[in-house]
Amino acid sequence: MLTVKKSLLACVSLVTLLAVLAGCGATPTPQVVIETVIVEGTPEVREVQVTTVVQETIEKVVTPTPPPARDVIIVALSSAPDTLDPADHRNRQSETVIRNMFDGLVTRDSTSGVHLELAEEINWLDDVTLEVKLRQGVKFHDGVEMTADDVVFTFERVINENMIEYPEAHTSPRKGLISPLASIEKTGDYTVVMHFSATWPVAMQMLVHQQIVPKHYLEEVGTEGFVASPIGTGPFKFVSAKGLDEIVMERFDDYYGGAPDLAPVGPACVKQIVFKVIPEASTRVAALLAGEVDIIQAVPAELVDTLSQTPGIQVQGAAGTQPKWIELNVNAPPFDDVRVRQALNYAVDKELIVETIYGGRAVALPGPLSPYNNFVNKSLSPYPYNPEQALALLADAGWTDSDGDGVLDKDGQPFSFTIDTLEEWRPLAEAVAGLFREIGIDANVRFWEYSVVKPMLQAGERQAYLDDWGDSAFDPVGHFEAKWHGFVEGASYGRGNFSGYNNERVNELTKLGEITVDTAERQAIYDEAQQIVYDEAPAVFLILPEEAEAARADILNWMPASDSRINLHDVCIGE
Amino acid sequence: MRAVKILERVLITIPIMFGVAIIVFFFMRLTPGDPVDIMMGQGGAVSTGEMEQLRSEFHLDEPLHVQLWLFLRDAIRGDLGYSYTQKQPVSELIVERLPATIELAVGALAFSLLIAFPIGIISSVRQHSLIDQFSMAGAFLGISMPSFWLGIILILLFAVRLHWLPVQGRLDFGIDLQEITGMYVVDSMLTRNWEAFASSVKHLVLPSVTLGAGVAAIVARVLRSSMIETLRQDYVTLARAKGQIEFLVVMKHALRNALIPTVTVIGLQVGVLLGGNMIVEAVFGWPGLGRLVVNAIFQRDFPLVQGAVMVYALTFVVANLVVDVLYTYLNPKITL
Repeated sequence: MLTVKKSLLACVSLVTLLAVLAGCGATPTPQVVIETVIVEGTPEVREVQVTTVVQETIEKVVTPTPPPARDVIIVALSSAPDTLDPADHRNRQSETVIRNMFDGLVTRDSTSGVHLELAEEINWLDDVTLEVKLRQGVKFHDGVEMTADDVVFTFERVINENMIEYPEAHTSPRKGLISPLASIEKTGDYTVVMHFSATWPVAMQMLVHQQIVPKHYLEEVGTEGFVASPIGTGPFKFVSAKGLDEIVMERFDDYYGGAPDLAPVGPACVKQIVFKVIPEASTRVAALLAGEVDIIQAVPAELVDTLSQTPGIQVQGAAGTQPKWIELNVNAPPFDDVRVRQALNYAVDKELIVETIYGGRAVALPGPLSPYNNFVNKSLSPYPYNPEQALALLADAGWTDSDGDGVLDKDGQPFSFTIDTLEEWRPLAEAVAGLFREIGIDANVRFWEYSVVKPMLQAGERQAYLDDWGDSAFDPVGHFEAKWHGFVEGASYGRGNFSGYNNERVNELTKLGEITVDTAERQAIYDEAQQIVYDEAPAVFLILPEEAEAARADILNWMPASDSRINLHDVCIGE
Repeated sequence: MRAVKILERVLITIPIMFGVAIIVFFFMRLTPGDPVDIMMGQGGAVSTGEMEQLRSEFHLDEPLHVQLWLFLRDAIRGDLGYSYTQKQPVSELIVERLPATIELAVGALAFSLLIAFPIGIISSVRQHSLIDQFSMAGAFLGISMPSFWLGIILILLFAVRLHWLPVQGRLDFGIDLQEITGMYVVDSMLTRNWEAFASSVKHLVLPSVTLGAGVAAIVARVLRSSMIETLRQDYVTLARAKGQIEFLVVMKHALRNALIPTVTVIGLQVGVLLGGNMIVEAVFGWPGLGRLVVNAIFQRDFPLVQGAVMVYALTFVVANLVVDVLYTYLNPKITL
């Protein structure tokens, strides 16, 4: 958590030095392959450019010292997980690590949606009752078989109050992720029934994020013993952890194989895996170049190009889940006028930003949702870059350059405003402000720490805020609840709504979408909601960057996931 | 007499720590940002009442004076509470991380003294010579180079390019080491595990150089100027007049007296080395206390920040005490 400015400077130094150092080495012969990737949940087919490198060149150039033992894969994480207890965190990074040790009833892969994992069959008995038949013969890492008791225990530990007794009795912070689940009961040794308080169309997407823990073991050693030496049913078993900075796991040979739909099925390929925390991006890259680690997380956009041209290294991206937008305070001038908000959308050249800042590894947002969302409105396309249209709308709203000073004005007041943002979005924010200045809007950028600016945003005290909002479920519920529904004190609604936008119809549709099961009906609901938000433009819809990760070229079957899961079950080491 | 004075100074530490505890308690709570809100992150829903419940579990719903009372009451019993995010007792987290931080600080101190003493002494004796000018320019560079930049440069040169030293971490993966003190260099010596010893020393070099460069520069400059001052004193002239060889004049007569300001500076720098290493720890993936605290501050993990700041305060107090005690040995005229 260094200041990002410092990290950026370090990255710039690194890029320069890498360029110099690369000049000293042999000339790489990269080979560009166009891979076709089906993006999850959408019938669209995207083409992804993957750079691979001719084998002879790799052998000449890469002489790692010391060479890591080749039955071990070392992954460099950007931050430490909070815990190894699947029920006691609200943190993506914890799941990244945990899901190699624990499996859930269902899982999700990067390209094809949700698949059965520990569940053999899932049936909705009615709109609010779900029957889950478990796979038989699945063993925990201590050899004990997983049964319905473990599943009931796992979910009760999450939804009931004060179930986690260590270090002081508390309720699982993951309760909110599965809040419609009212109760769960065992109906057979390998069957459970879940009762929901209301229809919950995203149940499958959200069940992915709950992993099954062993009842017998937790009852024996308690949470304290469990976090010190966790046991699951996943492809790898826990070996050791130094704090949570270095977590070592080894292959579980009795693994049942994982989701049968997702090949390869069977025990994991590599013998040992290690998750190491290296917070500084430049150091992660250096560690990969020096051969100390095999896979690195979160490659900064400015290093992607350099790394993909480095022999012996592969860089891959997955569709991101954190769209970026500038939320405009719709309750105060000048952004209380919809024409001004639309004008700002027309004033941003998103393609230019994608190319120059993200090296092409991002897409323009077609509206309030990610283009990869399962219910994106297909009829919407990104606001085109059209400065003339922007100026016309602004003139319509009374903003013209009446005094000829190059800045638009209205009633004697210049059009001047501040984009608040976080240090990590500096290049994006400054580029957007530059584009606004080009059409005569005096836009400035101010950097904050999120926790400091958030209360001001919710109180409507700021004008414009550029940030992202992550939601890896590929369903509109998350973004509509948090971002586009009006703010409701103490609830999920509008908890990330910083524009003050509050449209009754959108609120109504958001609530309807949460409980509507029929896909076509849901699509109609969200199409309408997206259209309203698109037209009323409470935000400047910017871009969605890819999640880029890098690995040594001999790491096979490896693919970054949109939800940042690093699934090492399938990954092998080549010759 | 000296022992009584030292005991007195140790006892004074108690009200100081008490004051630090209260100050850090209020500062953390005055900083905007809600730990529970940060903890909930972005994705997924938060159920109604869930955040209130968490606040109540952390006692954040109590009035400030009640929270302060709970904190002080537990702290006196040695219980610093548990981390909101990691759900582990704060004292355990600190004890886990502190040895790595101490090892790095000691490494950096050793490096800086090893560099600073010869440079400081030689450039004072050969004032205005080429060596003097060269080393003072080097010292200037050492002070002005930001550690995140120096660290990255050293990594690229010695680890990525030359493969002489590792990029990050404390020990090569696959080497077993029985932990006794948590300081790997010490532990590997105690257990006569020479493979681990070599690996841990190698890992310590670059972070120590990065962290120690600034300190070396400061100490060298202070030592040089106080040596120049001392070398002009009458007793040095007398020593020379007695016909003592120059080496002894410098090392025995001048250096000892020039050490007092130098030791003061070193003492203060020890505090800096222990408490100001967040950047170096992040650059080298060094799992020390600094990184833990920076994350805790961003997460508004109050108990963890409080506990760690108290540890930092304690190291400053102890470093100062050690410096004061050292004075009395260097110059018997000084009393505690």
